[in-house]
Amino acid sequence: MKQSLTAEAAAGPGSYVFEATGLKKDFDGGRVRALRGVDFRIAQGEFVAIIGPSGCGKTTLLQMLGALDLPSSGSLLYRGQSLPGLPDPAAYRAREIGIIFQAFHLLPTFTALENVQLPMFESPRPASGRREHAAGLLRAVGLEQRLDHFPAMLSGGERQRVAIARSLANAPSILLADEPTGNLDRENAHHILDLIIRLRRERNMTLVLVTHDLTIASQASRTIQMVDGQIVAEPPATPIPS
Amino acid sequence: MTFFTVILRGLQRRPVRTGLTLVGISIGIAAVVALVGISRGFEQSWASGMKARGTDVVVSNMGSALAPKPFRATVRDTIARMPQVAATCAIFVDLTGVEDSSMMVVSAREWGGFSWQNLKLVAGRMPRDAMEPAVVLGQNAAEVLKKKVGDPIQLEAAELTVVGIVDGGALVENGSVILSLPFYQKLSGNEGKINIIDVRATPGLSADEVKQLCVSINHAIPEARAMLAGEHVGNSEAYRFIRAMSWGTSLLAVIVGVLGVMNTMLMTVFERKQEICILLAIGWQRGRVIRMVLWESALLGLFGGIGGVFIGVAGVKVLETLPAIHGLLEPDLSLRLMVMAVAIAVIVGVISGLYPAWRSSRLTPGLAMQG
Repeated sequence: MKQSLTAEAAAGPGSYVFEATGLKKDFDGGRVRALRGVDFRIAQGEFVAIIGPSGCGKTTLLQMLGALDLPSSGSLLYRGQSLPGLPDPAAYRAREIGIIFQAFHLLPTFTALENVQLPMFESPRPASGRREHAAGLLRAVGLEQRLDHFPAMLSGGERQRVAIARSLANAPSILLADEPTGNLDRENAHHILDLIIRLRRERNMTLVLVTHDLTIASQASRTIQMVDGQIVAEPPATPIPS
Repeated sequence: MTFFTVILRGLQRRPVRTGLTLVGISIGIAAVVALVGISRGFEQSWASGMKARGTDVVVSNMGSALAPKPFRATVRDTIARMPQVAATCAIFVDLTGVEDSSMMVVSAREWGGFSWQNLKLVAGRMPRDAMEPAVVLGQNAAEVLKKKVGDPIQLEAAELTVVGIVDGGALVENGSVILSLPFYQKLSGNEGKINIIDVRATPGLSADEVKQLCVSINHAIPEARAMLAGEHVGNSEAYRFIRAMSWGTSLLAVIVGVLGVMNTMLMTVFERKQEICILLAIGWQRGRVIRMVLWESALLGLFGGIGGVFIGVAGVKVLETLPAIHGLLEPDLSLRLMVMAVAIAVIVGVISGLYPAWRSSRLTPGLAMQG
């Protein structure tokens, strides 16, 4: 975790992927304050873990980074540009971001190969190219034998591998992972985390991973700990109850 | 995998619901095909009957009844004197129940008039004179009434004899009971009255000149109106009413179809809320989600429309075999009508999908991370 400070310090001005200042997000007309003025920076190529107890705002923060929702106030920049002000947030999500969900979120009526192709409809790749590329990604996550399997025919670990392949469909520069091992047993969780870290390294991606597991967070180059919608400086020594 | 595959998978997701929706649209479109086809066919049958008789212009007074109103028979003489007129034939036509048949065309024709000339004897003979209590039956009429040459036939209060079976060259002609005008005028108490005059224009007249002849006749006689053969039925109030009823019933069926598709698509959108949010989260444009929903509903319309055309055609074929109308129906089941019916179904599908598509486009991609 101390390495993280080094990584951030090494990043020069304007080289940050994300810069947040006073970032707030309210729900239900202000009755629920999910983010209460968050400041942070994430540099290109960093592996940042966001940890904290349930309801502390980790996932909300990830949603802001993925342009899945808009902040209530504050500033959030992506490579120096206002993220909430992007003219085409869908294009940003399609080209720059790969998202891995805790519950995999594969579409049940599509095979593994087809699920991986879904994000590619927003790329200029032709249908045959989409299939080839998706097959290659599934091979990269070790699922070459499962291309034509529907999600219901796959184990939890295999489903998450498909979801990881899907997140890489448009060669994103940033991976956002929301509790990617939360629905897996310990052994599968270990394999999936190793896979994500390996792919991130091979493809030089920035990885922002939300978890409440300190063992997983310890593999990150930097940790952001959140409590009650705010970032606190130091992570706790004991595991955080979920 | 293409975008079309994604759309088809959406429809296959709930096969029973998709199937029931298709049945709903199909019934609506079947109603359009059957009702509009029958009403158009009715008009076309009359037009082909006129053509078979070699009639260029029909003079009649089509009021609110299916059969035209009677007028003075002397009107025929006024028309016959016009220079552009080659021949005329006075007719009294009635749509009435004959024995077991609830509706049949009874066509009483001027003795010796040209409207007898197209009738080809299949069996028996023609009436011997203008006052013989005899009829000839079109082939279909004979089949419907189960009559053969020599059988008695009850018409009005009198018993007449079937002396011949004829082929008139058109459905209306073959579905008619044909007899001499003077005899029928006396039988029905309409002496001196007719309700149709078939007019043959002088050979060589152009279409515009025949239209001009209609104008001249209309100036000369106030009792009736001259129209190009075949158009007179379409302009009758009764036929307009039938046509309006056909379209009205069809419209109701189509509205039911719209509501059915809309309900299905709304349920689909609500049910697939998270899926749509996931698609938005992985980078799909809102426009693509809208197109997906609209294509799904348009395809429901297309498949329902095609199914409806088949059901409609089958329904009409069954109707044609019913004893009450057997041989009297010549529905217009043209390719044009079928294409129009399918087009209506697709439009219904697209319209039904507009609101669900709009709803789907309002979903927040952030919901994908919940649950």
